Amino acid sequence: MAREETASIDLVDAETVRQLSVAVMLAALTAVLAQFSIDLPGGVPFSFQPFGIFFAGLLLGPVWGGFSISLYVLVGLAGAPVYSNAAAGLGYVFGPTGGFLVGFAVAAVVIGAVAHRSLTPTPIGSLSAIPTAIALLAGLVVIYLIGLPWLASVNGWTLTRAASFMALFAVGDLLKTAITTGIVAGGTELFADRR
Amino acid sequence: MITVDGLTHTFGETTAVDDVSLTIDDGEWVVLAGPNGSGKTTLVRHFNALLEPDAGTVRVNGTPAADQPVAARTSVGMVFQSPRDGFVGATIGADVAFGPENLGLDHDEIDRRVDDALAAVNLEGRHDERIDSLSGGEQARVAIAAAVAMEPDHLVLDEPFTGLDWPAQRSVLEHLDDRHAAGMSIIVVSHELRDLLDRADRVIGLHAGSVRFDLPPDAARDRLPEIDVRPPP
Amino acid sequence: MLTYTPGSTLVHRLDPRTKLAVQFAFALVAFTASTAPQLIGLFVVGLGSLRLAQLAVRAVLRAYWVVLLILALGPVLAAVTLGPPWLRLDPALVSLRSIARIVPILFVSAAYIHTTPIRETRAAIQRTIPGRPGQLLGVGVALTFRYVPVLRADLRSVRDAIRARNGDTRSLWERSQRLTVLLVDRALRRSDQLAIALQARCFAWNPTLPRLQFSRRDVPVWLLSIAFVVVAVVDLLGL
Repeated sequence: MAREETASIDLVDAETVRQLSVAVMLAALTAVLAQFSIDLPGGVPFSFQPFGIFFAGLLLGPVWGGFSISLYVLVGLAGAPVYSNAAAGLGYVFGPTGGFLVGFAVAAVVIGAVAHRSLTPTPIGSLSAIPTAIALLAGLVVIYLIGLPWLASVNGWTLTRAASFMALFAVGDLLKTAITTGIVAGGTELFADRR
Repeated sequence: MITVDGLTHTFGETTAVDDVSLTIDDGEWVVLAGPNGSGKTTLVRHFNALLEPDAGTVRVNGTPAADQPVAARTSVGMVFQSPRDGFVGATIGADVAFGPENLGLDHDEIDRRVDDALAAVNLEGRHDERIDSLSGGEQARVAIAAAVAMEPDHLVLDEPFTGLDWPAQRSVLEHLDDRHAAGMSIIVVSHELRDLLDRADRVIGLHAGSVRFDLPPDAARDRLPEIDVRPPP
Repeated sequence: MLTYTPGSTLVHRLDPRTKLAVQFAFALVAFTASTAPQLIGLFVVGLGSLRLAQLAVRAVLRAYWVVLLILALGPVLAAVTLGPPWLRLDPALVSLRSIARIVPILFVSAAYIHTTPIRETRAAIQRTIPGRPGQLLGVGVALTFRYVPVLRADLRSVRDAIRARNGDTRSLWERSQRLTVLLVDRALRRSDQLAIALQARCFAWNPTLPRLQFSRRDVPVWLLSIAFVVVAVVDLLGL
């Protein structure tokens, strides 16, 4: 191809391509984890989905982390069966649990912002336990702050009723923040080569 | 034509490519042989400006690749090892069209290129099939088609036979023969030279980031043990 | 599971931007509906869109059964009180009216999913959102869709590997840590490969955008969308 034809091509810079690629993979991972759970004693499902959101914020920071989970929500809106129970579509987002989906995207932003205290992320290996735990808890609070009123409003419930309905899940989610903090701050060498 | 002059590339403390100089002419069939970790992959990634040199230059058709990445990437088509990780579209057609779309071509030209590229690897008319439903051999052919759709002068294939069974390998080789006959230069990076030696014009032996030899196949065969590569039977 | 199914119904042939607009407009008007005739109207539109898309109601109910179950719990749990009279009808009715609005929205979005391939939504995003954000979101959606099956296979192989080493007997804490770390690590490796592959194909800010073309068919649907928005605005402003 002659050079004059290629001069108008505005290449995406390497750093943006790298961030986009990680964002895509964490969005896809969140979609996969949304379909995966372990049954706890008593039959309460322990969903792995929050791990995708947690790591999007922790690895990518507020901007690209939020972008990543927004991609996840958008792919479901476009019709890919990526929401819980292989659901998809705008109807699901406007449905009773749709607030949690919106909460996920906002939570990724909040987790990234609180953990890194900057728009650009520091290496995940350099995060220590306390800030990580605070960031994840803040993210969890955001998820429920958006999800619960949404559920209450769609189902015509009081906020207390919605909260008691979700209480069991909240216990599991708290456990997940502890597990994730353990991974990040527990000196795991698995992320050691990550910048 | 690809001209490498004094190219050095380091990753931290490791020197992956160490002062390499070589030339690949239009229409040549070249094998880059070397064991794992010899710097083959790093070297060829400089051919289309996917990496920036620490020292030296890589010129594609006379232009430094680092200055004109688009020119380098349209002249040098790259087929990566394990193509599954390099697909950017969910369907065959979407994946092959991605490169031409980025070149800003009009829709008719994009369609023509996709059709031609798919025909070149015997996948004509299969645009809408999902890539995940294809066999390994078919995926390898889609990856070649995606590179061919850029209408490059050179085609670089990094370990193209990994994980492919014999019929799939043979089919990939036949398609490479076709591209070569159509005037493209073919550069195959491999540590497994069976079926490659009798096709190549030259074999470049790489070891620990340096070129150990650059010889016609017959002469190269005897020196393969020197770079820890098993000579084919 | 509800996914895109190729076809040639009227809904299949609409421009995706038209279908997205009518979906949002319909959701807007649905949230302002409260009287019985209004709710019936919503159901007529919802069922009508399924009919036009040639999608069976049963298939939609099956696909959204969990959502429908949670919706059904709405009036049931709303009715219960702790203490006499134990069951109250009024809150249940409020809840019923509220959840009834959601079901037709599910119908309309099911018709969208059934008739619109992901690449068309991607094209709609790139053609509607200007500049770099539109390009990143559009390409991002296409790439995410492409990599979901790849990462699903990763999940399976990681789970099998853990199982093969008797990891099943470990605590939930250990199991979930190991699984998560291995999966995130693989995802990051794949992202390195993807970044290289995108660059090798001249990933650019200004590519040729996918083909999309409005036709005369889209006009009545746009008029309908505008009507929905007008009705919703009139209702919200209390006119």
